[in-house]
Amino acid sequence: MLQVNQEQFSAKLSPLSAGIRVLFRGNISTPDPASVLNPFVDAVHDRAQESGEREVSVDLKDLEYCNSSGFKSFIHWIRRIKEMPEERRYKLRFLTSSERKWQRTSLLALTVFAEELVEIQR
Amino acid sequence: MQTDSLPRSEGPVQLAIRMRPPWRFIDEIRRFVESFCACAPGCPEHREAQLAVAVHELVQNAVPRAGQGDVELLLDVDPGIDRVLVEVTNPCTDAEYDELRRRVERMNAQPDALVHYVETMRSAPSHVRGGLGLARIRYEGQLEISLRRDAAKVTVVAQGKLKVPPPRPPEKNAGTTPEAKPCCK
Repeated sequence: MLQVNQEQFSAKLSPLSAGIRVLFRGNISTPDPASVLNPFVDAVHDRAQESGEREVSVDLKDLEYCNSSGFKSFIHWIRRIKEMPEERRYKLRFLTSSERKWQRTSLLALTVFAEELVEIQR
Repeated sequence: MQTDSLPRSEGPVQLAIRMRPPWRFIDEIRRFVESFCACAPGCPEHREAQLAVAVHELVQNAVPRAGQGDVELLLDVDPGIDRVLVEVTNPCTDAEYDELRRRVERMNAQPDALVHYVETMRSAPSHVRGGLGLARIRYEGQLEISLRRDAAKVTVVAQGKLKVPPPRPPEKNAGTTPEAKPCCK
């Protein structure tokens, strides 16, 4: 499952010539977004693992909001990466928008949770 | 109405909303709170989004417990005493209240909001909803959380300083040890 299409938000894998990018859009504010987002990030994780990626771009520029239940899917993703042998792990590079002010603070905590695996690009 | 020529008061401003579920109101309330804070005198620019996140998480927590009852929101922004207060009230059973009280007590037992938030990230099951919101509010919103019980209702109170420094990258190893310093308090 490399695409999620919900009424309020969507997520899809966008292969690049080099590496892969995941695009999140809309408002992740439903009561239990992880029920659809966790299988999605699992599928992306499998793809990244198969192709030996060293980095995956996670584009949040069009993500208006993400509630804490949705945030858990990013934590789930990081946990999956941490389960891998260290030499095969890849980084998540979060692409953010300065207009989405919540992103700045919310993603800071993720860098503490997994300093070696998370980078924030503004 | 033109407001440009009106004197800009530095006194407190207050927003009170009473709502019924469903979920769809929550995004609208978050957007409105962010705009409201942008207009509130003395509210730093970076604070708007932090308070909007806090309101969103508190209301989202309240809705499932509220059943057919009301959820009430009170937001008080007072630059004169450098304080912001968010209160969300909803119907709540004794069992739900006890569980919430235990959760808040556990959280407040850890004085460092970032350490607690990261610990919660590590321990909260990713396939079960809930468990992260209060820790997020406390760290990201730089707000202290407490509860008030009144008859068959609970009020979650989040309050802190209005003028706080903008968030900055945590220090190396912050959040990883009990001795770590908070980055934003």
